[in-house]
Amino acid sequence: MNLALWAAKTGLDAQNTQMSVIANNLANTNTTGFKSDRAAFQDLMYQNVQQVGAQSTQNTQYSTGLTLGTGVRIAATEKNYTQGSVLQTQGNLDMSITGLGFFQITMPDGTISYTRDGAFSMDAQGNVVNASGNPISPAITIPANAQSVSVGTDGTVSVTTAGSTKATSVGQIQLASFINVQGLQPIGNNLLTESASSGAPQVGTPGTGGLGNLSQGSLETSNVNTVTELVNMIQCQRAYEMNSKAISTTDQMLQYLTQNV
Amino acid sequence: MDRGLYVAMTGAKQIMQAQAVNNHNIANSSTTGFRADGVAFTSEPIYGPGYATRVNAVAGDAGTDFSSGVMMSTSRPLDIAVNGKGFIAVRGADGQEAYTRAGDLQVTASGAVVTSTGFPVLSESGPLTVPPSTQVTIGTDGTVSVVPLGLSAAAQSQVDRIKLVNPSTKDLQKGTDGLLRLKSGGKAKTDETVTIVSGELESSNVNAAQSLVNMIELQRLYELQIKSISSTDQNEQSAQRMMMAA
Repeated sequence: MNLALWAAKTGLDAQNTQMSVIANNLANTNTTGFKSDRAAFQDLMYQNVQQVGAQSTQNTQYSTGLTLGTGVRIAATEKNYTQGSVLQTQGNLDMSITGLGFFQITMPDGTISYTRDGAFSMDAQGNVVNASGNPISPAITIPANAQSVSVGTDGTVSVTTAGSTKATSVGQIQLASFINVQGLQPIGNNLLTESASSGAPQVGTPGTGGLGNLSQGSLETSNVNTVTELVNMIQCQRAYEMNSKAISTTDQMLQYLTQNV
Repeated sequence: MDRGLYVAMTGAKQIMQAQAVNNHNIANSSTTGFRADGVAFTSEPIYGPGYATRVNAVAGDAGTDFSSGVMMSTSRPLDIAVNGKGFIAVRGADGQEAYTRAGDLQVTASGAVVTSTGFPVLSESGPLTVPPSTQVTIGTDGTVSVVPLGLSAAAQSQVDRIKLVNPSTKDLQKGTDGLLRLKSGGKAKTDETVTIVSGELESSNVNAAQSLVNMIELQRLYELQIKSISSTDQNEQSAQRMMMAA
């Protein structure tokens, strides 16, 4: 089938995917700890119709070749892990990370997922859990008689109980980092899982080795830049229109051919 | 059979190919660092006994448009854009050195620095790798420095330098994988004057207005060829009618 049509069709496909990525980013402007995605475009294989420098006769060479491009595809969606803004909430189990680390969450199947969303709360047993009710790892339990909870910048969780003036430590939050954070697999619910390309997690105490400090009473907002997304959306829409124009023009050419010959 | 029919047919066929190249450019108007392709037509006379009986049109590569794209700020430290002239050296799937303007880099789990399309980025001494680190910084001359994992920012150390080259664009040819290579084969020399900007990406250099005008022009040219085909056909029909009447 006609290459001109297919090249333009791949353009429509790719812009459509790009629009989904932009829409997802915009939809997550208020998602705690969300990291924006970006679609990476890549040109498809080229067809070498005529090799440059090939012999046109025994004594002469083609001075130019002819390579036909076959269109475009989205090679990857890359997450942008720049720091989001920090929002003060005063919630005593709300935490934000200033740095590279991730909170660890124990999933129902026992595996560990990672998140930048530090909106934690307590369940009926006093366990510190995320919004979906999955406990933080290593597990931390707040005693029932706790009067106040405080989280240090190094992740130490301490409580004061009624009748006591002294704070007692009930556990320490640990953060994980990865060699290739782009390689983490987003699984929804603000969670990410380790993959072959992210490398193994390096777990450590907050504040050491660039893992970042914890800050109690605040949350990291989404790092989606709405202005950038809106500009991207305009660009995407116009590129889509151009590709659709290319298809209709090619169609008109073929139509002219069939009607006049 | 009238030879005019075949001349017009080759014209129409080549124009359709040119339209394919133009559509490919439009499809890649959002591809980071993409360089637009051009098409030029050359006339190819067909010699018989005596004078050339007819001249066919043949589409050929008019090379690649090497003008710069627009800088898009991303503020991601691993996004780099070449400032002005020059290219980033990468290793193609064939193991040969190739060049690109697309600088959206990634660090793999094994520490290799690759483009988003998976081609390893080269330093002077081979593929560029970084140790496990918390922060990777790329300087304007391509120097890569890292803060090793588990150490403070004071332990920042220089790792290697991205190979930046600036061969004459006349010597460059786009391969079937979209990477640029030297026509003569071999490697381009490192050019110290090439600078890069970190936190920015270069857009595709496809000019939307130009591509659309080109598209219209090719469409009309195509119709012209088809018109020649149908006119030649009508001539044949008239001649046939006269023969029948005679």
